[in-house]
Amino acid sequence: MPDRKKDEKPGIHMQSPEIDPDPAIVPEHNPDYPAEPGNPDDEGSPRNPRRVQGRPKGGGIEALKELGSTPLPEIKSNIHCLSIVGQIEGHLVLPPQNKTTKYEHIIPQLVALEQANEIEGVLMILNTVGGDVEAGLAIAEMVASMSKPTVSIVLGGGHSIGVPVACSADYSFIAETASMTIHPIRLNGLVIGVPQTYEYLDKMQDRVVRFVTGHSKVTAEDFRELMFRTGELARDIGTVLIGKEAVEKGLIDEVGALGQAVAKLKQLIEESKRGKEVPLQ
Amino acid sequence: MILYTPMQLELVIDGIEEMRPPSCREICIGGVQMLVEDVGSGSVRVVKLLSTDPGHYLLPDYKPGNIIDIYRLSQVKCDSG
Repeated sequence: MPDRKKDEKPGIHMQSPEIDPDPAIVPEHNPDYPAEPGNPDDEGSPRNPRRVQGRPKGGGIEALKELGSTPLPEIKSNIHCLSIVGQIEGHLVLPPQNKTTKYEHIIPQLVALEQANEIEGVLMILNTVGGDVEAGLAIAEMVASMSKPTVSIVLGGGHSIGVPVACSADYSFIAETASMTIHPIRLNGLVIGVPQTYEYLDKMQDRVVRFVTGHSKVTAEDFRELMFRTGELARDIGTVLIGKEAVEKGLIDEVGALGQAVAKLKQLIEESKRGKEVPLQ
Repeated sequence: MILYTPMQLELVIDGIEEMRPPSCREICIGGVQMLVEDVGSGSVRVVKLLSTDPGHYLLPDYKPGNIIDIYRLSQVKCDSG
């Protein structure tokens, strides 16, 4: 039985380190000094102070504890991913049950992307149920007039005003299961606080039709036919195009999703770089 | 404003009557001018950026809806200064 102090309770006693163990502390392993507790050169100190030397792990553990996520490795990408989700919010703030994309934030982002030297291409991901006509058209016009290559993917849905936004990219993809609803503005859309006439709504609709036909392979006649088709939608006139059908109508360039879209964007970036090179005489 | 959406309008605009305009104030965090709304305990929610530098709009910390702890930010500033 080893000697024990009187006040010490019987049982197994751990050697306690001088600092409290913390998952945020990692021991420093020095290859020249293996962390052995009993270094004979250290007189009278059974515990090697090196054992408790450590450095904080940075934000990794905090992110894991707080958010349940592991930190991502930092990769500088030459493409920027822009997601357009939920309702495209325009001049009116929508009630909080809506997921919204705020156009007043997206538009300066596009300006920054056009200007940033390290960004060579933009990948736009759409899963939107439409929204404000003017906000949607504003985003679409900005994307269409960018000098950098842009590729869009419609995932889930790109309905109503999402259609011109999807077409605005240089090349567009639609997931096999994604859908696009094409319907007239005047039946389902509501004018809030604006004295509306049939002609006014017709003009708004013309803006959408002109943009879509100008930036995709669909003809105005086909697009209007899709818009006014009866018997397809339960509550409205119009059409739902799913994946391949949108490509067949010429609205979207190709069926595909992430892999194909990123490959296409890389290809477009290469082409635009080659185009900028001055040919040697 | 015209909403062009296949979603039922009742669902989209439900509760629009009860919505009150947020009581915004203008502040400047890290050189970025923005409109914020107080959410209590020294934190603010970003309503929108007012900065004219397009680069600020790409900063993930200042996305609309993001909550910024300005109390902690001021502490950090005091410590470093």
